[in-house]
Parts: sequence; C-alpha cells; structure tokens
Amino acid sequence: MNNSILRLMHPVRSKRLLPVLFAAFLSLVLAACNNPQPTTSDANNANASSANITSGAGGEVTIYVSTDRVFSEPILREYERKTGVRVSAVYDTEETKSTGLANKLLAEKNRPQADVFWSNEPVRTLVLKKNGVLAPYDSPNAEGIPAIFQDPENYWTGFSARSRVIVYNTNLVKPEDAPKSIFDLTDPKWKGQAAIADPRFGSTSFHVAALYAELGDERADEFFRKLKANDVKIAPGNSVVRDMVARGEVKVGLTDTDDVNVALEDKQPVAMVFPDHDGIGVPVMPNMVSLIANAPHPEAGKRLINYLLSPEVERSLAQSEAVQIPLHAGVEGPKNIPALASFKPMTLDYGKAADRVEDVTRRLQLILGL
Amino acid sequence: MVASNRTVKGNALQLGSALPSSRTIILVVAGASFVLVCVVPILYMLGVSFISADGLFTFENYRLLLLDARQRELLGRSTLLGVGTALLATAIGAPLGLLLARADLPLKRMLRILLVIPLVVPPYVLALSWILVTGSTGFLASLIGGSFLSAWTYSLTGAILVLGTCLYPLSMLATEAAARRVNGRLEEAALLVASPRRVLWRITLPLIAPTVAAAALIIFVLALAEFGVPGLLRVRVFTTEVFTAFSALYDFGAGVALAVPLLAVALIVGIIAKLITGERLLAARRNLHPGLILRLGRWRAVVLGLLAIILTVTVILPLVTLAVEAGKPERITSALRSSGDAIHNSLSLAAIGATLIVVLAAFLGYARARSGARLRGLVDLLFITIFAVPSTVVGVGLIGLWNRSGLLGAIYTSQAIIVVAYLARFVPIAALMLAASVRQIPVSVEEAAEVGGASWWRTFTRIVLPQMRAGLISAWVVSFIFCFGELGATLLVAPPGESTLPVRVYTIIANTPSSEVAALALLQASVVLVPLVILGLFLRGNATKASGA
Repeated sequence: MNNSILRLMHPVRSKRLLPVLFAAFLSLVLAACNNPQPTTSDANNANASSANITSGAGGEVTIYVSTDRVFSEPILREYERKTGVRVSAVYDTEETKSTGLANKLLAEKNRPQADVFWSNEPVRTLVLKKNGVLAPYDSPNAEGIPAIFQDPENYWTGFSARSRVIVYNTNLVKPEDAPKSIFDLTDPKWKGQAAIADPRFGSTSFHVAALYAELGDERADEFFRKLKANDVKIAPGNSVVRDMVARGEVKVGLTDTDDVNVALEDKQPVAMVFPDHDGIGVPVMPNMVSLIANAPHPEAGKRLINYLLSPEVERSLAQSEAVQIPLHAGVEGPKNIPALASFKPMTLDYGKAADRVEDVTRRLQLILGL
Repeated sequence: MVASNRTVKGNALQLGSALPSSRTIILVVAGASFVLVCVVPILYMLGVSFISADGLFTFENYRLLLLDARQRELLGRSTLLGVGTALLATAIGAPLGLLLARADLPLKRMLRILLVIPLVVPPYVLALSWILVTGSTGFLASLIGGSFLSAWTYSLTGAILVLGTCLYPLSMLATEAAARRVNGRLEEAALLVASPRRVLWRITLPLIAPTVAAAALIIFVLALAEFGVPGLLRVRVFTTEVFTAFSALYDFGAGVALAVPLLAVALIVGIIAKLITGERLLAARRNLHPGLILRLGRWRAVVLGLLAIILTVTVILPLVTLAVEAGKPERITSALRSSGDAIHNSLSLAAIGATLIVVLAAFLGYARARSGARLRGLVDLLFITIFAVPSTVVGVGLIGLWNRSGLLGAIYTSQAIIVVAYLARFVPIAALMLAASVRQIPVSVEEAAEVGGASWWRTFTRIVLPQMRAGLISAWVVSFIFCFGELGATLLVAPPGESTLPVRVYTIIANTPSSEVAALALLQASVVLVPLVILGLFLRGNATKASGA
C-alpha cells in the first residue's frame, strides 16, 4: 500500500469541507471586488465631473460626518440629486458609545480614504489639524460667515452652529425658577437634581475646555468642585441628560440645543435656557468642514465643501430638527431658537479652547471622580 | 513529522513522508491565518505604544500606568464587574443548559430560542429598558409609588444584574452543548450503583466543568470590555480609560498601554479558572446513549416556576418595556423600510464571518486539543487574552495594517474588511469553545482510521468533524450573534456607504428620542433572531437525535 499516493489522493476525495472553504473564500473575494478602490487619478475624475456637473452625472466624493446622521444624510442626498456626484459617507455614533471617526481619520492618515470631514463640534477638527490630517482650503462660500468662525489658516470653516443650553423639566420647575447661569447649578437648590454629560467627550468636552480658557484654572476648578459637592449626575451623553430631565429623574441639565429640540418636537415636558446672558455668555459650537490632506478626490471634496458652506444648507439645517443657527447673515433661523444676535455667545478662540482639552480632561477626572 | 527534515534517500515510503502531510499543511495554514488576522494587529498596536512622536523607542505610555489610586480603584471595580457578571450569568445559564440537555421538559426548542433573546438585544438598550422599569421615575416606581430600586439601578450591582441577564445565554448554550457530549454510557454505568443526584454531581458536572468555565471566562471578558452599560448606570470602570485615551485624547499609544492592565486581569482570571476546573476530561465516542435524564418529578413545578421567573425578568419584561417605549408599530416599520441594505449587509457578513470563524476555529481547536498538556493551557490563555483586547485597539490596528496599496488596500476599501474584523475579534473564543469538543474525541479513532488507510483529511472530515457537530453548531450560533452585533471595530474599519445594521442603529440613535432607540433595538433583535429560528427548525431532526430522545 503506497501511503504517499493515498495521502495525496484523499484530499480530493473528501468533498465535504472543501466546497465550504471555497465558497467562503470566493465570497470574500467577491466582497472585495464589490467595492474596488478607485484607481483613476483624481485629476481625471475631477475634470470629468466638472465637465459633467451641468449634465448632472459623474464623479464621486467621500465624506466622514460626525454631525448626526438624521440631519446630515438628507443634505448629502440632496447634493447627490443636484449634481449627480456619488457621495459615499461614513457617519459617526454618539461620542460616548464608540470610538469615532476622528480615530479613523488619524489611523488612515498615511493613506487617506476621505475627502472631507464634517464635524459637529470644534474639538475633533482642531485635533486633526494639529495632527496634520487636514489641508487648508479657502472656500468662496465662506464669505459672509463671521471671522470668529473661520480658521485664519483655512484648515476649517464653521457653519450652522449649535449652542450649549440649560434644559429643565417644565413639570418640576417653573420658568422663573429655572437656572439662568451655569453657576446656578452649584446652588443647593439643585443638589442631586442636575445632570451633565461626561465632560471628557463630545460637545461637553468643548464646553468645559472653553470654561477653563475663559475663567482660568482656579475659578474653573472651583466651579467643578462645587458641582461635584452638589451631587451632579454624570450621564454618558447629552441625549441621556435630556432624557433624564424629560423623565424627571433630575430637574435640570446641561445639553445641546438640538438635543432639547428633539424632545420638544416629541412633546416632552422640557424647555431650554441660554445661560449667562449677563455674564460670560454661552459657548456656540459651529459645524466645521475641512478638506483632508492628500485626499483621493480633492477637487470633488472642495466642491462639496462649497455646497456645505452655502446659505442653502444653512437654511435646511435651521429648518430641520437640528435647529442649527445659521452663521451667514440674512438666513432665516430655526423656530425654537433665538437668533445669534439675541443671546450672548462666549467670545472664544476655538484653537485655544481645543488646546486645553487634554489637560482639562485629566483635571476633571480627578475633580469629578470619573 | 520530524522525518520531513531528514535527507534520506530511500524507498517510496520515506519519500512520501518527506512531503509535508495534508494535516501539517492545513494546520500550518490555519495557524498562520490566525496569527495574521488576530495576532499581528495587536502586535502592531503594541509597537505603536512603544514609539514616540519622533519615531524613537519610548516607555512613556507605560510609565505612569496604575501608579495613581484612581486607576487602581477603577481596575478593581472593572474586575468586580467582570467576576460578578460571570458568576451571575453562569449561575443562571449553566443550570438552564443542563435542563435543556437532560431534563424531561416540554417545549425545549421554543424555550431555547426565547432564552437566547437577551444575547441578541444590545446590552446598552437592555440597560436602558431596566432604567425605564426600575429607575426613580420608572414603571415600578409609578406602580408602587416609591423608587426603592433606583439606587440599585445606578450601581455596580445594577450593572452586574444587567450584564448578567444579558450574557447568561452564552453559558446556557455552551453548557447544553457540553452536556450533550458527555458519554451516556458512563452515566448509565454509574446509575447502576448510584443515585441520579450522585451521578450528576460526580460524573456529569465534572465532565462539563471545563466548558462551563470557558464560557464563564468569555462572559468575564465581555463584561470587562463593556463601557456603555456601566456609563449609563454611572459606574466608573477602567475600560472607559482606554476609551478616553482614544476618544478624548486621541492618543493611540496611551490607549494601548491602558488596555494592558485589562489583558493582565483577563490572563490572571483565566489562570485561576484553569486551576479551579483543572483537566478532568474523558474521551467520549459519538454519543448514542441518552445517559442521565433528569426526571424532575416533584421538582417539576419548582423548576417550571423558576423558568417562568427567568423568562419574565430577563426576556418578557425588557421586551415589553421596549415595545411600550417604541409605541406605534409605524416606528418599527419605517425603521425597517430604510434599513434594507444594512440588514442585508449584516446578515450576509455575519453569516460569512461566522462560517469562516468556525472553520478556522475548528482547525485551531483540533491543533490545540492534540498538542501537549502544557502547550494547551498556554494556548487557552492566549485565546482569552487576545479576546480581551478592546475592539478599538483591534480596529485601529487593522486600519494600520490593511490600509495599504495593492490587495490589502482592495480588501480594506471593501466590506471584506468587516469580515476580517469579525475574525480578528471572535476566532479566539470560537476556538476556545471548540477545543473542548475535540478533546473529547479519542485519539484512538483517528489512529484506527489511519491504520485503515484513511488520510488525515478524510479522518478529520468524516470522523472528527461529525463528532464535533453540537459544538460546531453552538460555536457558529454564538459567532453569528457576536459578528452581527459587533460595533467597536466595525465602526472603525467599515468602508464608506451603507454598513451593518448595528452601525446604522448607533449612527441614528445619537440624538433620537428613546422611543426610536427602542424601535431600532427591537428591529435589530428580531433580524438576528429570524435566521436562528430557521436554523433551529432546520436542525430539529438532528437535535432530537443528538439528545437521544
């Protein structure tokens, strides 16, 4: 009996597992071919799409979006419909539920897949700028947006803004008793009855960094120590803060305008206050759009940026449930939110505030016992 | 095997053995795939953690690790959360698995499907449903008029209860598969001289203990890795530190360094579990003997009552709460209508992923079972440690390795990378689950087959795999559920365009009211249940055969 021949033959004979393996391998390959990396150079694509833009066909662009998908997806679909450019998007989850897109962009830095990054708050954009992920681009549509919302070096441009607000439960708190300043939250009246989102993440991390930049370390530390002593509840995200207030688990909280508006549209018993009108003002957080350095389709990316910075997009974001405040003068604002001119935005250098994030995160871990 | 290195000219037999055997080739390929997909991304990230911004070697990320009391306290709490969850889930799941395998219970198939439900609902959403029930303004509080449970809800105990009730199905499935494999003849022989209770404690339980322990270890690691549920219940855990390093500080090196204590905890708990359960193992031939049947007799009412309580508390109450919260059925139908592509992607990617995982894990489990005892122990610990690596670390590592030009890049920019991520995350646990199945198959059957002239491949596919059947099916089901629900790594590697259902759900729920979150969670749970029910029906005949009924 020749052993070696048998050994060579039997694998052919046993037909059970091989097809499975083969099918699995084939499906992998098919999946790989499904969505091939564009190999044509961008210049060709760009020329083709600019030539075709009027005929409404051609080209593609990839955007990573951290603005809530329910708000951003319709805008991108509209752009597709208008231009015929195929927009491939990656959306982010709420910051506290998973590690988001900024990490993907950082990890992909050596071989970028995205053309544009659309952020819903300043911190991540500025982190990416610092890490060399972004490229400068001065969009013609940035004109008319106040200078404070634009990067002097053109690595980002702000548009449609949200604001931090105090949210309160209207069944439990009368409007006249609602806190008018974030510093009121340290009042014993709100002991155990106030919630904020984890200040290490998302727009709350921007808010606390802005407070440190504005107040200085000593006063800011003091404020957070008092908050802690007042048994402030730390929720994993701004939407959770809103839900806790709406359910009446706590009476007041700090969150974002769009979060409150979603509850208002859902007829929940909440209302919002733009705090510190007579004091330091309230941090305003623009969306920020940036071009990615070494993007696969830079020209298509620039055109998409132009669109996002148009008054038209600001208008639809204002009219959507996102209730974002337009930054172009003359664009009609959202119905539940006062116009930019009527409340007091904190005077902010976004770069300076963002620089504080790391240090402030470490401080608050200790002060708030996170 | 050693013969292949000899350069002996001689007869045909020796020439034959100079070629590597199909066994060697296949096991080496399986081992290499495992290293490439599961180990290299982690090594890559470890490398990142030792390199400074200037590209030089640095120990900076590890310098301050665990030096402050705060971090040590967090790590202690994480460990408590893991151990508590593993114990609770095993206390619920293992008896259930034993009952499903051995007791004379009615409607077992339906029970099994119902009891798997907590595993397919995202834990975060289950925690949310518990807040809606037991929170200070929850359903119970409004029913009773007081909020005596709310302090409990927002506590470590609450987190353990939520995670324990999410994860017990894992222990149940593993225990059932193991109990089915125990050789009925042993038990029958013992029953001649001993009471059923004694047989259960002295024969059956010791034989299934390693599998129960392996499942408990997997549950421990899953609870350790969880930060969504503790975050919602305001329990500070160490895992959030890793997450903070990535998501707040954008410092990959620090993130990896912070994951190391978690790996160490998993390793230590793994070693302790090994020491406790030991290697009580008896080879079993294909199980044709029913063995010990647990006749419930007068305990029947008690067991059924307990089952009813478990079903009510862990399945019906959360589902009803979510359904009430979701409100109108239009919410679910509208969620369903727009999620077609995501559902299709999720089901096909999870099916491909689970199949590849089980194929690879079957070979790895075989290699591990047939290696020396000491090596076996080390491999188990390697599997559990790899599984403990946070999904973010795996995701970033995969991007670093696969986002290149050529074939790797072609895979990275396609949905195939999601399957790669599934493999990277879940091959180790499937291998851990399958290793026990192989070990119970006596080497003697393979030797007999070889003497009879069968090749190893033929022996493996015709003798070894059929005997692993129950284990393969439960490993596939668990892998499918895990792949389907994977979020952490998928979110990082998924290419632009519509991705998987959990990614869709999580990108949508950011700002939506909890009613829509509930609707989407119910949708996600039902989508993953449908194929499992179909599979259950399809396997009906075999399952009854295997249980010896």
